[in-house]
Amino acid sequence: MITFERVTKRYPGGTVAVDDLNLEIPDGQTMVLVGPSGCGKTTTLRMINRLIDPSEGRILLDGRDVAQTKAAQLRRGIGYVIQQSGLFPHRTIEDNIATVPLLNGWPKARARNRARELMDLVGLEQAMAGRYPYQLSGGQQQRVGVARALAADPPVLLMDEPFSAVDPIVRASLQDELIRLQAELHKTVVLVTHDVEEAIKVGDQVAVFYPHGKIAQIDTPEHLLGSPADDYVENFLGFDRGIRRLGFFPATGLDLEIETVLSEDATIEQARQAAKRAGESWVLVTDEHRLPRGWAALAELETRDGQQTLRQLTLAPYGHTFRVGQDSLRAALDATILSPTGLAVGVDDQGTVVGITSYERLRTAIQTAEKTDDGQGARPS
Amino acid sequence: MSWAWDNRALLGHYLVQHLYLALLPVLFGIVVAIPVGVMCVRYRWTWPPVLSLTSIFYAMPSLALYLILIDYTGLTDWTVIIPLTLFSLSVLIPNVVDGLRSVPPPVRQAADAMGFGSLRRVVQVELPLAVPVIIAGMRVATVSSISLVSVGQLIGIGGLGYFFIDGVQRDFPTEIYTAFILIIVLALLADSILVLLRRWLTPWEAGRKVRPGSRILTATWPGSSAGGAP
Repeated sequence: MITFERVTKRYPGGTVAVDDLNLEIPDGQTMVLVGPSGCGKTTTLRMINRLIDPSEGRILLDGRDVAQTKAAQLRRGIGYVIQQSGLFPHRTIEDNIATVPLLNGWPKARARNRARELMDLVGLEQAMAGRYPYQLSGGQQQRVGVARALAADPPVLLMDEPFSAVDPIVRASLQDELIRLQAELHKTVVLVTHDVEEAIKVGDQVAVFYPHGKIAQIDTPEHLLGSPADDYVENFLGFDRGIRRLGFFPATGLDLEIETVLSEDATIEQARQAAKRAGESWVLVTDEHRLPRGWAALAELETRDGQQTLRQLTLAPYGHTFRVGQDSLRAALDATILSPTGLAVGVDDQGTVVGITSYERLRTAIQTAEKTDDGQGARPS
Repeated sequence: MSWAWDNRALLGHYLVQHLYLALLPVLFGIVVAIPVGVMCVRYRWTWPPVLSLTSIFYAMPSLALYLILIDYTGLTDWTVIIPLTLFSLSVLIPNVVDGLRSVPPPVRQAADAMGFGSLRRVVQVELPLAVPVIIAGMRVATVSSISLVSVGQLIGIGGLGYFFIDGVQRDFPTEIYTAFILIIVLALLADSILVLLRRWLTPWEAGRKVRPGSRILTATWPGSSAGGAP
């Protein structure tokens, strides 16, 4: 647990970077500090490991004032990932990762073994161990940065805009990697970013800063999107927050149509009956393994000989699917919007059809989700 | 050339003396310049006076200094070594300071955040990264020093400079050319050794496109804008 008690940071000249801040960061969670540049989020982060000392107030790490521990000692117990990796250019990858164990006086061989373990953990090939940082891509360097921060297995990990210097695709994969690592390691992570999407994606809790060192709102990402505290937060979150919030509701909440899912060996007559019973104008045709093949329109079924099988039909493409057990209502909605039929196919992990959703079914699921929302941000895994 | 062969013992004697008089000042210089440079970066207010001092060292006419020192150190090697040491300091201190300042801020910050103490940070992170710039300074100091030693012959201690005076007095140009060429060869040789030393000390620089301090021109001269005047 990291606790800020009435912390103020004032610079000579009168600039107040952080203004009377109270903040509790619970163990094992990811707390994201987000805000515009100059809002004091980075100052807040750096006060935790004493790269900056507060002017007033105190910061407690597990109940102990950080000012009471020698700075170098304190920092070796707190992982730190810096923007643009900040790797040591003159040290090999494994020696970079082994930095803190070596500072703590581990024998070189043991520190290097530990470095190798961490390379596995963050997804770096062992062949890179002997290379120098300039030989790696930006994304790989950032992975090394994370591995270096984790080397001494600190309970707390501070991340200062860790993914801002890499391109969007690499950034997304690094964010996924962080979520995966965190699910495994349960560190107390404090991450600073100016990217609200990143905050919502990786945070268990998000603290939104006003421009001048005060916090506007601390909440789960889902709650933040659902009920921003004021106009500032709402503006900061950006538009379409309603749709983004659907990302926090699992697609398992959907009541899927199964009646209009037919094997291609079924007859056209059977398909006509099914469509009419369900009141749908499309049926989904699957192969014998229940993998989706495409849509058949009721209008076309009406013109055909009822004794033929669906195999004879030319089908409309089934479009994007969503994975029922893993995706969110947002993904289901997206698949529905993109589908030419206004219907989207839900599949399981093997890609076999679970059922079909429509706008109507999505609407019901969203209403149910809102009613039963416990604010804990039930995140689809 | 037959003259050179016939006098190889004499040439050898002065060659060794020349090297000794030229390299010892650079060695003393670097031993002093590193702690002084570290101090100037750590305590910023010390840099302007130190910079002025190095400019004075650079500007001092060496011949005058020899004559002044004779009163104190007599006709010993020190009379040559001390001025040359001051001269090499005027090149080496600004280079050490520049080298330390060339360490990227994120790297220094990362070192702090990892829990390096300040001495450890200097020794294990900043100085290794400053090596290319420091060696660039050593190359300038070494080549200049090798060339300047001969001036010491005006007071009788000047390594291969002996042959310049002797050649003039005896009106025998072969002597002068031979010593002249030997001094240039020595300078080039010393420079190449320093380049090899840099490569050996900085394996991480091998494949980089921009190599700080890879050319002699990047060395900092006293009073130049790159000297980081306040």
